[in-house]
Amino acid sequence: MTLSSLHMINSALDELLARVRPLLVVVQNGRRGAGAGILTGSGQVLTNYHVVARGRSFKVTLDDGASYQTRVLSHDPEVDLALLGIPANGYPTAVFSEKEPRPGEMVFAFGHPWGQRNVLTGGVLSAVTVARTRRGEIPVLRTDARLAPGNSGGPLLNAAGEVIGLNAMIFGGDQGIAIPASVIREFLDKARNIMPADAVPEGVL
Amino acid sequence: MSNILVELSNAMAAAVEKAGLSTVMVNARRRMPASGIAYTAELILTANHVVERDEGISVTLSDGNEIPATVVGRDHGTDLALLRLERPLASPAETAQDAKVGQLALGLGRPSNEGIEASLGVVSAVGGPVHTRHGAIDRYIRTDTTPFPGFSGGPLVDAEGRVIGLNTSGFGHGVALTIPADLAWKVAEQLAKHGSVRRGYLGVRSQGVEIPGAAQKALKREQATGLILIGVEKDSPAEAAGLMVGDIIVAVDSQLVRDHDELFACLSDDVVDKSTPVEVLRGGQPQTIDVKIGVRK
Repeated sequence: MTLSSLHMINSALDELLARVRPLLVVVQNGRRGAGAGILTGSGQVLTNYHVVARGRSFKVTLDDGASYQTRVLSHDPEVDLALLGIPANGYPTAVFSEKEPRPGEMVFAFGHPWGQRNVLTGGVLSAVTVARTRRGEIPVLRTDARLAPGNSGGPLLNAAGEVIGLNAMIFGGDQGIAIPASVIREFLDKARNIMPADAVPEGVL
Repeated sequence: MSNILVELSNAMAAAVEKAGLSTVMVNARRRMPASGIAYTAELILTANHVVERDEGISVTLSDGNEIPATVVGRDHGTDLALLRLERPLASPAETAQDAKVGQLALGLGRPSNEGIEASLGVVSAVGGPVHTRHGAIDRYIRTDTTPFPGFSGGPLVDAEGRVIGLNTSGFGHGVALTIPADLAWKVAEQLAKHGSVRRGYLGVRSQGVEIPGAAQKALKREQATGLILIGVEKDSPAEAAGLMVGDIIVAVDSQLVRDHDELFACLSDDVVDKSTPVEVLRGGQPQTIDVKIGVRK
């Protein structure tokens, strides 16, 4: 490794940011605040359940400035996930990692901490662990990347720019929790199966 | 897709996996367990402050094997403790050369059965000596890694998974420091040999003083301060060698002594029981007196 490797790392970071930027949206829950979300294809936006909890109508703003009023298509408070629908397609779709997360691998959190748009913070995957919920244990990822309110619903990315988790909770400022891709995939499969076909807004309404 | 970021990421994960094999969980306190490093297959180096009890200690290895352990020795000054496993099944850690400011570093811990934990940062500073609650450490490393709960006693590793030092938050003020590996290993060696860290004993009470210009000229070097003896203990090595009240110590074993920290650093295990040249100013003239350094009790 030489100094030119550092330049290569920087351009790889630029490339990664350019690729994931169109995936990130803002989810506004009226006066209850805002979080982040990611485009998962077919006009669907994945976010945290707690971002849209106790709301009726939400505004989703895309990176290109387009914004849509939307509602919840499916949700699961236990794993803190919700799926929203927007009448838009032709946008890039998040790629979920199929690989086993490894402690020490490089990760990036992408979101809107404290309302500041499109902030990328870096760190490593600190631990692959479990969180205890009322229904039992769910697997979670822990990272040392800086997270703040507004990161909720945003992706935790690996070095290849794939989504390995959805940032969900912030403890004490230095410990972030993310819902892993495996749990997200399960949620999306279930959500897409139980949704009536006409509930998926494809293109125009 | 493979690019330099992915390569770097894979290298860091591999470093964590490798160093994780010699990072163990230390169950020796009431609240959550802490971490430790396999010094040998049988000996575990950890932070002294996480070993709250002397009995009922166990160590859980990376493969989940929980093994009873006993305390070999403790050193309060460096906040290090050495444990002996009932069965020598640990994988010894590999150490790295000196830490460089700016280098990539990973803090590791194993505070639970859920696997190895990691935090990324860089070496922020290498400093020392620094006073601790029970002594001093010659050198320390500071990083911007996140010291997660239970990380005390665990390693700071480089990008190749080699141990740069041992992390501890035991020096108070909520500050996490890293004890450089060579220093920690030296302490471990002494704990293994003697059950404690031997330090040299001179038997003097002293006070910092300025050295007048004329005396510096006689010394043939610029040295602004030294330690003036204000007391010599009875039956001490200093007394036996003929050191007297009023002598100004300016060097021990060819190392300059300008303050108490430097004298403390000179009186290491290396000089114990050895005839050691102590340079003093007596009546403004330099004089070298050999002192057979004792062991501080």
